[in-house]
Amino acid sequence: MGNKQTIFTAEQLDAYQDCTFFTRKEILRLFHRYRDLAPQLVPPDYTSKPDVKIPYELIGSMPELKDNPFRQRIAEVFSEDGEGNMTLDDFLDMFSVMSEMAPKDLKACYAFKIYDFNNDDFICKSDLEKTLNKLTRNELTPEEVRLVCEKVIDEADLDNDGRLSLEDFQHMIIRAPDFLRRTQASKTRREQLIREPELLNKYKFSGSK
Amino acid sequence: VEEAENRETQDQDGYWLEDDSRPLKEIPLPMQGKRAVRDRRQMKIQIISSWESWKKSHLKSLKRFQLEAADVLSRMEVWKSSLHKIEGKFGTGIQSYFNFLRFLVMLNFAMFLLTAAVLVIPNIVFMTVDLQGWTLLNTTGMMENPDSKSGNCSLYNPTQEGLVSFYTYIMDLLSGTGFLELSYLFYGYYKDTDVGLTTAFSYNIPLAYLLTSLFYLLVSLIWLVRRSVQGFKLNLVSSDEALTNYSNKVFAGWDFCIIQEKATQLKHNSIHYELQMDLEEEAIREKIAEWTTRQKFCIYSLRLLLNLLVIGLLGASFFCIYIATQYSQILLNQDSVASSNFFLSLLVQYLPSIVITAANFTMPILFNIIIGIEKYSRTTEIKLTLLRSVFLRLASLGMLLFSLWTEITCAGDMDESDCSGCHYNYRRYPCWETRIGQEMYKLIIFDFITIVVVMLLVDFPRKILVQHCSCKPVQLWGQQEFLVPQNVLDIVYGQTICWIGTFYSPLLPLLNTVKYFIIFYLKKLTLFVNCRPANRTFRASSSNFFFLVVLLMGLILSCVPVLYSIMVITPSKGCGPFRTQQKIWDILPNSIEGLPRVTREFLFFIGSQAFAVPLFVLSCILLFYVVSLAGAYGQRVNLLKAQLQREEQDKHFLVKQIAEMGRANQKNNNNRVSFFSSLMKTVDKP
Repeated sequence: MGNKQTIFTAEQLDAYQDCTFFTRKEILRLFHRYRDLAPQLVPPDYTSKPDVKIPYELIGSMPELKDNPFRQRIAEVFSEDGEGNMTLDDFLDMFSVMSEMAPKDLKACYAFKIYDFNNDDFICKSDLEKTLNKLTRNELTPEEVRLVCEKVIDEADLDNDGRLSLEDFQHMIIRAPDFLRRTQASKTRREQLIREPELLNKYKFSGSK
Repeated sequence: VEEAENRETQDQDGYWLEDDSRPLKEIPLPMQGKRAVRDRRQMKIQIISSWESWKKSHLKSLKRFQLEAADVLSRMEVWKSSLHKIEGKFGTGIQSYFNFLRFLVMLNFAMFLLTAAVLVIPNIVFMTVDLQGWTLLNTTGMMENPDSKSGNCSLYNPTQEGLVSFYTYIMDLLSGTGFLELSYLFYGYYKDTDVGLTTAFSYNIPLAYLLTSLFYLLVSLIWLVRRSVQGFKLNLVSSDEALTNYSNKVFAGWDFCIIQEKATQLKHNSIHYELQMDLEEEAIREKIAEWTTRQKFCIYSLRLLLNLLVIGLLGASFFCIYIATQYSQILLNQDSVASSNFFLSLLVQYLPSIVITAANFTMPILFNIIIGIEKYSRTTEIKLTLLRSVFLRLASLGMLLFSLWTEITCAGDMDESDCSGCHYNYRRYPCWETRIGQEMYKLIIFDFITIVVVMLLVDFPRKILVQHCSCKPVQLWGQQEFLVPQNVLDIVYGQTICWIGTFYSPLLPLLNTVKYFIIFYLKKLTLFVNCRPANRTFRASSSNFFFLVVLLMGLILSCVPVLYSIMVITPSKGCGPFRTQQKIWDILPNSIEGLPRVTREFLFFIGSQAFAVPLFVLSCILLFYVVSLAGAYGQRVNLLKAQLQREEQDKHFLVKQIAEMGRANQKNNNNRVSFFSSLMKTVDKP
């Protein structure tokens, strides 16, 4: 295109456009937002692929994350080192998944990872309790927390092992498995099952376009 | 190469594709992983022919172009930024109301364009250009007995003589009489002529009028049904909402798009409040299940009594509406009122609207009190109150139309002195269609005025009071909460009036568009300035379905009077495009007569019973098939769920078996070791 920019090589921009849901302009805008978080850390020129990480404290101060009770988990899930310190790649990834263009099963996959506090690929009771406490800022009594966790596992656990796997989570999120699709196009193992739009519409940052 | 690649793409997550046909963006890997997959795919591209790679790269740039185009188009979407702001501060529940309002503005504007293009603009053009082809319509069905009385039927002269005072001007504007009555706004102004544009082609104004109105209702129906199909699918096939209540609240409770701190605090409180309410309700439900028979008997008889009371209240309000409409119609025809006090005549004009609005204000309050005594669970409470309010709103409109019908057709009795000559009350209603159009016009205006007045006189002072007065009862009353269901019922009510009135007043959609446009901004203003977010969040998913169902009910209600007046009531002889017809519908068969023979016979066949009955039977069979298919799928879902559980049990069993066998093996090993060691010892011992 006609716009000349010196931040990325054409190859890098091409790769970003392929790997995220953003257009050229949006990627550059996001880069500037990333840079504004820590201008002295982030070089203005990424053509040499520098290895720069912005620490979690600065990431957590962004307006989209500042008041979100799950900001630490979001940063941990999307960051390379698992501690919340994000490179530019992680940053773009996060916004791409949280944008309104991302399909529902992608959001469901990452939402599952966010709620899986101990990273064991299952949402067990302790994960649920931590989720609830973060949601209600520890204002529920332990008895109430226990009751709600029990009810959630009752409702969503399909294979009866006392914890939620990714399939349980997806099934609960969609509420009504789209049976025709599943029986016909069974080539890929995970298809577009998500039909309930509003629940997963909440998993996006507003105004991130 | 293929196999190696598939094995590689399974490494990262464990649940991975067998073939990588998914677009890169949708793969749940970090950026490096995606870049690796991309490199592998590009290497694969180099193996295939140059034609294939050229095609792929062009496909890619086409997709990019589509993305950019979609981006530009979405920027042009009306009110997108407002909706984003509302979502950010109040969440998706309240945003769904504004989304719905925007949809209605679009619908009304599209309808206005339709009626303007087919009806209004051709009429204006014909009037100004003064074509020579003005031929009066040939009527095939004459009136039965053209006696002296029927001569009076076509007497219609609404124009005012002499100077018009300023008050009368305002009065006319507010009630659709005077200078507005004989204008494009109402039915009475349109001519019953056939305009010959060329030798072969002529523009049949009455036919255009009828077809536009029917088409308008049909398009609204199709648009609505299309929009609500998603919601229908979910609610028919999906499991009961109660079964996923808690998981929904925990995993989808947090709106990730809320970014203001005050809003997040409120969101925490609302989630907390909701979970507490649910647990309380659970406890209440368990208590209810343990009621003794005597208690059950008490509560059921109490509920029966209260339901009778509700029906009684509804009946009373309908009776009031009936009386008010009759009274106002009688008074309107007495000249003494028309020339007296301005405010008195305005009051008489608007009497039906005032009574309807008063009923719609007071009844919900009573319903709230009654439902508190009935001791239902909270979800049933909400549903029942909503049901009662919806019924009240739509039925009060129906009551108004019924009382108008009684007046116009002398309650169906054609032998009464007023109706005998012309089959409608020609003395009081020389042009009854225009009169109905005027009533609808007044309803819309009054509805708009009510919304504005309530905002100014109730919401704003309440906010100022709460802010500056710190006494206990005022603080307990608190700021206004933005109640989504009530607001939705308001705009559905307005839309129903518009649908009913468009046949009698073709420019009503334009009025409605402007009205809803202004209401959007007013409601947005009141939301941001006066309201606090509700404690109980309104689920956006189920609410969209609810809005569309209520709107559909309004559409069906509005079809009834329109179709009834088209098919049954004699059109006015003094005005309008159908003055020479026996029934409005007759224009269709008359026009079909003029078509070539094959088309005519085909159309008559479609309208006959020989076609309709088999079609009906076929639709029933199809419906039955689809319903049983849905039932079969539901059963299959249950079977598979059970199978899933069994497989998990099998897995546990097998794991236990393996563990036991491992232990047994180890014991065997230990035994063997000890045997050998004892053997060795015996061997060692010489």
